[in-house]
Amino acid sequence: MDLGALLLGVGRFLLSTTLILLLTVPTAFVVIQMELKIIAGSQLRYGPNRIGPWGMFQSTIHGFKVLAKEDHIPDQADRATFTLAPWMVYMAAAMSMLVIPFAPGAIAADFNIGIVYFFAVLGLSVVGLLIAGWASYNKYSLLGGLRSAAQMVSYEIPLTLSVVGAVVLAGTLNFRELIEWQRAHGWMLLWQPVGLGIFYIASLAEINRTPFDMVEADSELVAGPFTEYSGMRFGFFFFAEYLALFIMSGVMISLFFGGWLAPWPFPAELGGFLGTVYGVFWFFIKTYIFVAVAVLLRATLVRVRVDQLMGAAWKVLLPLAMINLLVTAAAVVVFNL
Amino acid sequence: MRIPGFGILKGLRQTGRNYWAPKVTLQYPESRPTMPDRWRGRLDLIYDPFGEHKCEVCFQCAQVCPVEAIDMSGFDSEGRRIRYGMPEIYDERRDPNAFRRAGLAAEPMRNAARWDEAIDKPWLHGLIDGFGGRSEALVAIFSAVQERYGYLPERALHQVSDEMTIHWAQVFGAAGLGGFRLLPAEGHLVTVCDCAACRFAGGDELLTALSAELGIAPGDATDDGAWSLETSSEVAAGAIAPAIRIDTMVYGPLTVAQARHLIDERKRGDARASSPTRAVAGARKS
Repeated sequence: MDLGALLLGVGRFLLSTTLILLLTVPTAFVVIQMELKIIAGSQLRYGPNRIGPWGMFQSTIHGFKVLAKEDHIPDQADRATFTLAPWMVYMAAAMSMLVIPFAPGAIAADFNIGIVYFFAVLGLSVVGLLIAGWASYNKYSLLGGLRSAAQMVSYEIPLTLSVVGAVVLAGTLNFRELIEWQRAHGWMLLWQPVGLGIFYIASLAEINRTPFDMVEADSELVAGPFTEYSGMRFGFFFFAEYLALFIMSGVMISLFFGGWLAPWPFPAELGGFLGTVYGVFWFFIKTYIFVAVAVLLRATLVRVRVDQLMGAAWKVLLPLAMINLLVTAAAVVVFNL
Repeated sequence: MRIPGFGILKGLRQTGRNYWAPKVTLQYPESRPTMPDRWRGRLDLIYDPFGEHKCEVCFQCAQVCPVEAIDMSGFDSEGRRIRYGMPEIYDERRDPNAFRRAGLAAEPMRNAARWDEAIDKPWLHGLIDGFGGRSEALVAIFSAVQERYGYLPERALHQVSDEMTIHWAQVFGAAGLGGFRLLPAEGHLVTVCDCAACRFAGGDELLTALSAELGIAPGDATDDGAWSLETSSEVAAGAIAPAIRIDTMVYGPLTVAQARHLIDERKRGDARASSPTRAVAGARKS
């Protein structure tokens, strides 16, 4: 390998990671704004409509307000881990964004085990939450951290297993190749409807969205593992949560809804930069549709109980995912797909 | 057949429709609600130029409040501390002085039975029919009822509310607006001061003269209930001895002739103002 290629690789890496990091905060703002407006709308309210045209800068102002707030660390807290936890949760979300295929040529890190990397890195946020709970020196925070760990670890299993069927069908762990496969064979939605259902439910639980938001049940618990956090440290958890919603929607459409593909056949002549723009357009359209659906679900559903949550993961979703995987694998072998 | 997840879809349809539905929020500073006519806004106490409350803790407002929502504490016009607190609230309201200050009969509980008096329902029904059941006729109907009963019985108000489909609170509020009695008339209470200063200045003669004038002994009431006479040592400070109090007004220093004149004035006034009432009330008593 010559030096030029190495430098190019390093430069490309630096550029793409920087772009991804720069993308995270505006994305969180957009998702939060959608949450504010859509929930308000479904409750017959207007929602924020004062700051900026149509109130569109409300979430941005919230974000900067968080910056201005006092950042308090409890006396007995373990300062090192206390400061580490929000960083960890946020970086888990931001790093998992590296493999998300926005468009052909717009993937920050297009490597061959992208799907494995994605689920591995996303799982790191559990560690962050657990650390946050432990470092706060507050038994309620600790309990909240344990709760979140229990929920997220048990949902990671059906979540990952539900994807394996798709991986077996497409024969690849690379997001880009998976989307190319979907262009040839039709969206994975048609091949793996059960996998999609399991993935959707499990992903809601994995990112602590309603109806599975026991980790930070706003009205019942104080704030779960974030109880002792304030200011921008809390803001990082908050942003990571909304970022995770965007990421999960993005991954879901990449896995099951054809990613950057348009609902009709992708124009073959569109290549290069124009193709990238076209792909980004469709990616964001689809992703934000699912973000909106998740927000609407939050406005609609009530929270499930903890025992229902655990029961659903281990008694329903896991066996279903197993059966789905088994049937898919058998079909691949029998029909030689 | 129950399809799993169908309820969630129905819920999503509802919330989704709500998103496009007209919103109920009122954009306050720009658009303002139209308030009902009887809306009084935020209640506040009025202060005099010296920064003192103008409220004299007279309990008139508490007295006429249909839902007993008003409560207060402070110093009344005679400088007495009016307490407040759970048991006292109602004591203060039921206090004869509170009733008198509110322009009601001195001791309404003395005649509590009449508050729940049975009324002539067909007659009232005919009366309301005669006015076509129009809400503008409320005052006229009240006048007719008061003419017949001498006051507005609660049952009559209820019947008015029911038959005219006007809210009870509005009927009660209109009845309390003025000119109508909500309790049977019990006449005037004359209190003669028997403190040392007043007796020295001629209070005893005043008491004897008034007793003879009204034909009743201290502590009694006339047969038609129009007059009561009593003594108290707290009518006034010694400066205006001898003093008497008629209902809420304190008079003094008085000669016997002046006291007689005051009583006569009231008698003439009553005869002028409510002769039918008085006649009906008297007739019912006998």
